[in-house]
Amino acid sequence: MSGVPVEVLKRVPLFADLNAQELERIARLFKERRFSAGETVIQQGSGAAAFFVIDSGEATVFVDGKERRVLKTGDSFGELALIDAGTRTATITAASELVCSGVTFWDFRPLVEENGVIGWKMMQALVTIFRAERGE
Amino acid sequence: MSEVVQLVDASDTSLFGSKAVGLGQALRDGLPVPPGVALSGAVVDAVAGRDEQAIEQVALWVRPLKGPLAVRSSAVDEDGAEASFAGQHLTLLNVPGADELTSALSEIWWSANSDSAITYRQRVGLFSRPSVGVVVQTLVNPETAGVMFTRNPITGADERVIEASWGLGEAVVAGRVIPDHFRLARDGEVLERVAGHKKIAFRSLPDGGTVEQDVAPELIERLCLADGQLAELNLLADRCESIYGAARDIEWAIAEKTLYLLQCRAVTRAGP
Repeated sequence: MSGVPVEVLKRVPLFADLNAQELERIARLFKERRFSAGETVIQQGSGAAAFFVIDSGEATVFVDGKERRVLKTGDSFGELALIDAGTRTATITAASELVCSGVTFWDFRPLVEENGVIGWKMMQALVTIFRAERGE
Repeated sequence: MSEVVQLVDASDTSLFGSKAVGLGQALRDGLPVPPGVALSGAVVDAVAGRDEQAIEQVALWVRPLKGPLAVRSSAVDEDGAEASFAGQHLTLLNVPGADELTSALSEIWWSANSDSAITYRQRVGLFSRPSVGVVVQTLVNPETAGVMFTRNPITGADERVIEASWGLGEAVVAGRVIPDHFRLARDGEVLERVAGHKKIAFRSLPDGGTVEQDVAPELIERLCLADGQLAELNLLADRCESIYGAARDIEWAIAEKTLYLLQCRAVTRAGP
């Protein structure tokens, strides 16, 4: 089976309040996706289908065409896509051969709909993120 | 109902998608479709999730096919989805064999679940979970390939329009060449032959994938279809129309002097 280590998911702010069992359920939803060096992984302004964790390789983050940072093994991106399938806020390209694990909005949503506890904990995490961004 | 069937047995679009069922119907009607198997959306989903049982099940069905393979997506979705998803869902040509199929199926699964696919679905008001079946066929390695409309898609005239180029049909489908252009009357009379400018051809590589090759200078503007082959294509158009109805959009290939039908679907827009 596919999947990502629970320890990796623990570091994702949106999942900060989830316990090991809940994280394990999410981890099982992931599927492997490979990108060639130079390939665009996500495109700023595009609709967002999936949240990704980097299994191996490096990726570069660009915002409005400017390079912002490099992502490495264990880093993740795009978690807000799991909630609203909204718009990507950055472009990410594979800086090397890149292996990711991803979970889509379509696969994640039924898990949350069936499990109110996970949904509630994620709402709390979102509020924490929101307050932090407002400087509270 | 099995989640993997011989292509000739694919009859349920809700399991296998419209492309697989269309090709299955063509085989049942005796049309020259390369042999293959159809995988349901659920099996493709399981293989993309690296489910060992699903991977082994698919391998058992695919191993008897002569490689290399053509692996084509077959959207399992709303009516008419296959046409509307053209260009969104991936087709992989020249996959060496069953062992390489898992990663090919994974790529196809992600093509239906990509950001661009989601953007497209949002634009056309589709909010259901994408599901993609797959057709796995022996790859035809053609000398010539292209598309044929059984009715002129621009003028609506009752005539065949054929566009052809050297090598795999992707050169024509992807607009990478100016193809040879032919118009035939319904009785087969050639109404027009216009040589294109076919500088490149897509060919299969021995280890998988395809490569874009330069065409020999003397072939760039030489017609790639002879009158006998045009007559065969006209007969294929007749048979497709008698089975599926008028105004068909056909992908075809000629390999070792044999004409193959690769896809037959309704023309999405036919003339004024």
